[in-house]
This record gives sequence, structure tokens and C-alpha cells, in this order.
Amino acid sequence: MSFFSIFKMTIPVLMGYIPLGMAFGLLLSKLLIPWYYAFFMSLFIFAGAGQFLALGMFATQATILEIGIATFLLNLRHTFYGLSMISTLKNFSWKKNYIIFGLTDETFALLKTNEVDEEQREKIYLIITALNQSYWIIGSVLGAVLGNVLPFNYKGIEFSLTALFVVLSIDLYNKSKQQKPLLIALVIGFVGMMGFPSDKMLILSLSLAAVILILFKKGLQNGN
Amino acid sequence: METSYLLGAIFIASIMTYFTRIIPFLFFRNREPSSLIKYIEWNMPVMIMVILVFYALKDVNWESYPYGLAEIIGVFIAAFVYLKFKNALLSIFLATLSYMFLIQNIFVV
Repeated sequence: MSFFSIFKMTIPVLMGYIPLGMAFGLLLSKLLIPWYYAFFMSLFIFAGAGQFLALGMFATQATILEIGIATFLLNLRHTFYGLSMISTLKNFSWKKNYIIFGLTDETFALLKTNEVDEEQREKIYLIITALNQSYWIIGSVLGAVLGNVLPFNYKGIEFSLTALFVVLSIDLYNKSKQQKPLLIALVIGFVGMMGFPSDKMLILSLSLAAVILILFKKGLQNGN
Repeated sequence: METSYLLGAIFIASIMTYFTRIIPFLFFRNREPSSLIKYIEWNMPVMIMVILVFYALKDVNWESYPYGLAEIIGVFIAAFVYLKFKNALLSIFLATLSYMFLIQNIFVV
């Protein structure tokens, strides 16, 4: 698979990460934190919501322990991503540690929906992860450096991530053809969106989905 | 803000984030994936993705004008274009463009 076709797969993430990263950088500069911290955070943490949360906690001078706990809880959802990547990454070399490090919502989405042959898989996964992280770094540094002087109205461009999730949902459903998990997820997602506290919506919904999936393993398997 | 505070916070946040991502690999490193793991690998991704769609829409205000109409239309366009043309990029591009147009020009709050 050529570099260009791998790049093409990551364009939706590019369209989402640059503006989101810029929003992050902008916020960071508003807290009067030097721009290179945007670079360090995006390089070492690489978690969208996690980095926004960290900024929020910097602003309130939260302790380092509090920041650690909050980050852990917020990013706990990533554990589920890893759980569904175990056999995929099983035969990879030590380089898989970078892929695991870079397993954001969007990277997970791209990796999980890509049909690539076994031999090229490790290389392609590494490139996808690195490209995604580079978009995130570029966006956040741009935002921190440029601040408010952007020439065009890009309001709403972050919807590309929503659209990406919609497309990938359809894709994954077409692949698994399992109706019951889809319906359960639709119900949980809707209830979560309407009823769960906004900041815990994702982890609560994912936990609920995992519990239901495991508890009703028999029924869900036989029914399909 | 103090440099040591910022560096310490960034350090702990990066360790914690990486930890959440590597937990499952630490647990199942030396074992063949069980049938339960395979079952989860098979069914969980679509559930995660559908939930992520709702997650992305969680801060929409459904109670007052424009009642999340731009988002609903955007999601509909994304799904429709993808089902019709099987082209992910086209679908995301058109949906995002429509959404941006709608919130900047039609549903201006």
C-alpha cells in the first residue's frame, strides 16, 4: 500500500485534528502558558479530551495527583480499544508500543476499519498512528502560536469527526452483520447522550455496553 | 505557572494516558486470547463506534433553537452519502461542509 493511499485514509482525522488541536493551542495560550508546552503535551500525552482536561485543571491549580487521577478516569475508555486490538497486534514487534501509545478514539477507528494484509499491517498501522499524531501536534502548535488571527471562519469543521464516526459505524456493522450489538449500542448511546453526566458519558456508556455484551454472551451469540 | 508544576503534570498525564491504553496488553500478554476475548473483539468495535457518535453529539442543546437540527442533518447526510456512494471521504466532506454552512448561515444563534 503506497504512502499516499495511507495518507488518504487519514484525511478525515486530519480535518478533525487540525482545528481541534488549534482550539487546544488557543486555550493554552489564553492561560499564558508558553507555546512549546502545546508541543510537549501533544507529543507525550496525545489525548484530545485528556489535554483539554489538563488545561482546565492547570487553570484551577489542581494538584498533580488530582490531574493524574482525572486523566486516568477520563481515558479509561481507551482500555476497551486495546481490548479489541489484542489479537490484531499480537505478532507485531516492539514497535507496537507506539501504536498502543497512540490509540486515540480516531486512531482506533481507522485501525479497526482497515482491511490490510498481514504482512504490511504493522507498517501501515505505524504510519497511520504517526500521521494522526503529527496532525494533532501541528494543530496544537499552530493554535498556540497563531492565537486568534485566523483568516477564515472554520466554525463547525470539527463535525468531520462526528461524520467519521458515523461512516465507521456503518462500516463496522457491514463487517460484523450483528444486529443486536448495534441496537444495544444505539439505545445505550441515546440514553447516555440524554441522561448521563456529560463528562462521564463515554466511560459510563462503554462500561454499560461491555457489561451487557459479557452478561448476555449466550443470547447475543446464538441470536446471530 | 511554575515550570516544575507544568512538567510534573504533563509527565503524570502522559503516564496515565499510556497506562489506560496498555492495560489490556499487559493482562493478556502471554495467553492465547480466550473465546470471550474473541467475542468482544468481534462485537465491541461497532458498539464503541456507535457510542462515539452519540458522544460527539453530547453537548448539543436539544431543548432550544435550533434543536440540534444541524447535527441531525449532518449525521443523516454522512450516513446517506456513505450508503449511496460507499465513499468515506466524500461522505465526511459533504457532511462537514453542509454542517458548517448550516451553523454559519442558517441556524445562526
